[in-house]
This record gives sequence, C-alpha cells and structure tokens, in this order.
Amino acid sequence: MKSFVRATALIARTHFLRALTSRRTLSCVALSFLPALAAFLVTGISARASAAPLFANLGWIMMLQIVVPLVTLIAGSAIVAEEVEDRTITYLFTRPIPRPALMFGRFLSTGVVVSTVLLVGVLLLYLACGRARGEGAPVDAGLAWPFVTAVAWGVVVYSAIFASLGAFFRHPMLIGIGYAFAIEGFLANLPGKNQALTVQFYLRSLIAQSPSPSWRGVEGFSSTAFDPAGRAHAVLAVILVVVIALGAWRLARRQFELTS
Amino acid sequence: MTRLVEARSVGRFYGEVVGLSDVTLSVPKGVVGLLGPNGAGKSTFLKLFVGELAPSRGTLTVLGETPFANRRLFARLGFCPQQDALYGEMTGLEFVSFLLGLSGFSRADARRLAVRALERVQLDGAMHQRTRGYSKGMRQRAKIAQAIAHGPEVIVLDEPMTGLDPIARRDAVQLFAELAREGASIVMSSHVLHEVEALTQDIVLLHRGRLLAQGSVRDVRDLLSSHPRKVEIHAREPRRLARALLALDGVASVRVDPARGDGPGVVRVETTDLDLFQSSLPRVAVDTAAGIRSVETPDSGLEAVFDYLVESST
Repeated sequence: MKSFVRATALIARTHFLRALTSRRTLSCVALSFLPALAAFLVTGISARASAAPLFANLGWIMMLQIVVPLVTLIAGSAIVAEEVEDRTITYLFTRPIPRPALMFGRFLSTGVVVSTVLLVGVLLLYLACGRARGEGAPVDAGLAWPFVTAVAWGVVVYSAIFASLGAFFRHPMLIGIGYAFAIEGFLANLPGKNQALTVQFYLRSLIAQSPSPSWRGVEGFSSTAFDPAGRAHAVLAVILVVVIALGAWRLARRQFELTS
Repeated sequence: MTRLVEARSVGRFYGEVVGLSDVTLSVPKGVVGLLGPNGAGKSTFLKLFVGELAPSRGTLTVLGETPFANRRLFARLGFCPQQDALYGEMTGLEFVSFLLGLSGFSRADARRLAVRALERVQLDGAMHQRTRGYSKGMRQRAKIAQAIAHGPEVIVLDEPMTGLDPIARRDAVQLFAELAREGASIVMSSHVLHEVEALTQDIVLLHRGRLLAQGSVRDVRDLLSSHPRKVEIHAREPRRLARALLALDGVASVRVDPARGDGPGVVRVETTDLDLFQSSLPRVAVDTAAGIRSVETPDSGLEAVFDYLVESST
C-alpha cells in the first residue's frame, strides 16, 4: 500500500508538470472557454438577453452536454493511452510499482488540471453573462452552485470512464467519441427512462434540485423526472468506483505490445 | 544455483504473427549476448524476460521467478528498451531521478544516483537539458543510464549500441564490462556479432523466432569458417578462370555465367576455406590472365550464418 501511494503521488506530480505544458491541455482550455465566448457574443449583440436564463441555457446545453464530455474525453483518454502511444509505459511497468498507480497518479493530476480549466471556464461564463442588459434575475449562488457541483462531478466521472477505456482499448479516443455522442449525447436526450443509463442524467439531476427558476426554462428540463440529489450523488460515486476499479483491474493484467 | 533465465517451450504470438516459437534454453548468471538478425525475436524474448509481456505458451523464469508484472523481480532488474522513447519535456536528470523514485529511492538518493549514472554514460554535461533536444546517441545513453542507475542485479539491454558513434560504442562496451566486473549479470541483444563479442563469449542465437544455437562465440566463428562461402568474380574470361579455380583446395563448386556482349562473365564459387581462396586468387588471376573486374563475397555477414544454420537444421 505504501509503495502504491508513493508511486501514485510521484506519477501525479510528474504528470501534473507535463500536463501544464501539453497541447492537449491547450485544446481543453480553448474548448472550456467556448461557452463564455458565446455568452460574450450574445450579450454584445442582443440588448434583450438576461443573465440567469443565458447562464442556464449555455451552462446546460453547451458546457454540461458538450464541453465537459469533450474536454474530459481529450484529457481522460490520454491517461493510459499517452504512455502507450509514446512507448514510455515500458519504463513504468518494469519498475517495482503496482501497475494501477499509473492510472491513479495520472487521473489525479488530470483531474486537477481539467477541473481548474473547466471551473475557470464556468467563471468566465458567469462574468460574460453578467454583461447582459435584459431584464431578469442575475446569476446567483442558487443558480451557479448546483451547476459547479455538476461540472465537478462530470470531470471526475467522465475522466475515470475515458481513462478506463484506455486500459481496455488500443484507441480509447475513438471508443470515447462513440460513447460521448451515442450514449451521453443521444440517449440522454431521448424521452423516457433510458436517460437513467447516462451520466448526464445524474449530473442534470444535481442541477434540477436548484431553487433557481431559470433552469426550468431550459429545453427538455420540465419534461424529465430527475432523481433526487442524494441519489444522484450516490449513483455517480458508484459509477466512479466501479469504472476506476475495472480500469485498474485491466491495467494490472494487460500486456501492451509496443512497436520498437 | 538459480539460473539467470530458464525457458521451456516458450512461444509468444502477436495475433497470427509468431514472435517466438518453442524456445527452450537455460542461461547461467553472467554476461550473455542475444544475437539474431532483425525480426529474429530478440526483443520479444527480452520483453518476456523483463515481464513486459507474458508467454503465450510455455514457461519462463528469471532468477527463479515468473517475470510478468512481478514487482519483486523488477527491483532486481534494469531494462534499456529498444524503442527510442523518452519523456521529452523532462531533463535527463529528471528522467532518471523520476524512475529511481519509482524504484523506491528518496528524492535525495534518486538525484545522487541519477547524477552518478549520467556521469557513467558521459551525459553529465547535458543532464540539465530537456531530452527532447537530445541527439540519437544522447537519448540512447539516457536510456542506458536509467537501466543501470539503481545498481540492478541484472541489466537487460535491447540493441543498446543503436545510434552510438564508434567511440561511444567502445565506451559503452567498457561500461558494460565494468558493470559485469562489479557483479551484475548482463543480457545484451544485437544483430552485430563483433559488438557482442567485445563483451562476452557466451551467446544465444535466435532466428525467425526460434532458438538456433546457444554456446560460445568461438562456435559461431567455427561455423563462419566451416560453412561454404560464396564468392562472385566478374571476369572477361570466366571459363578459363573457372577451370583454374576448380583445382584449388577448398573449392566446393564453380558455376559460370558466360559474358554477354561487352560485359564480363560471372564465376560463382563456393569455398569451405575463404582465407585460402582469397590468398590464392591473385596468383590464379595472373596465371590465367582472365581479366578480373571485381570480387565480391555476398554472404560474409552473420545473416549468412543464420541462413546456413537454418538450412542445415531443416
């Protein structure tokens, strides 16, 4: 256990420094700022745009449904796959460390980097929406806080899913794109109980408990029966633990056939 | 006494491609060279040796232990892989220190040992540069440094001379010999006989995934000298030359492709004593006035020995 913690910490620290300067992180930054850019444009063009509905719509549709899955796909799928593609995994897997330490270490550092990037994106969205000149409520804590919680859970759970795909598949990015669009993008927006098969459903459930009326104006919100927040937290935690455990189990056994 | 490596009917397949097939061998501790042409299965064997892969069939033990994902064994091994891969954004010192940290050393010890290892491979002058900017030879030395830095009991080197200039190669051989004198067992793969010969007399020959032979370099040298060697001679009067060559000792066969047009003809000779043949050829050339234009020995390399051994064993 001691060597696991030690190796995880060392890999996390080392990867954190690498991640700060990687092109992948730059792509994540660019994607994360898109909702804020959209809000900035809308508030600049339309005099009728109101802060709270704009924040709710862009946050729900753009940030939570598109940006969070895509950013975590880019960063999360690289957690294991980057070491394989760069053929550096040999150095790690011929050292006396538990193999899952690679996934846990890089998952931690990726989580910190992606969370920071996305939370800055949310902050910028908040600031951009604050420029709105239309009538209506401002973006308050009741509106923003459940959203920030959902984004944070989204980062952790999606990153874990995409990291685990890297432990199972040679090209996790391709599988991840399929998952993000077919399951999280499509199924989560179909009417009916199938939505409960997606992570999106539970993230939205966290937002649905918000006292702010602005969320109810978002397309598709009022027609869905969301879970209580407590249950949503529990289901997300279970998904996280199961996915991470599966990834670690697979990583401990998988043979990576690298070309020379 | 525990053997360095014992393999029993080991096979390793990549889908339908055979990496290793039915390899059985036993190697004592010490220095051993793993020889074979490209695609012989050397890297596959070493990946099984260091536990990066597991055999598809058969059993393989290193120092008495099954290597795949064996952390206890990994603490005793140092591996320099063939692939030209480093963490480009790290300096040489950070790279080696990081891996020493994973081997359980404290930060201070890791740094101290990393500096020492980089000095031993003569990379201390560039240890604060990012490895992204290293030349091929420097990258190779960084890989060797991480393999030896923790003072492992067994050092496994997959084509470690690749990319090194002649002086660096000589230095590397000296370093490996020094490490062997310090008590480390070394397994080094190469497709160049004299590289291995400079380090050890004990070799394992692989070819097309199969174990071809195991023994001393001397045995291979004997094979080199005993198997019929081919010589191609381009000459203006090939028939006259062929008649004279047939009379030489050691000449097993002579074939003539006569001259066409203005071009020379070709005499293809097989001889079991190349040295004698080469020393006799100038005299024959003068005596026959055959107008020799060129002399080639197309099968002088190690590859030819492998082909010969394969032909002999089938």
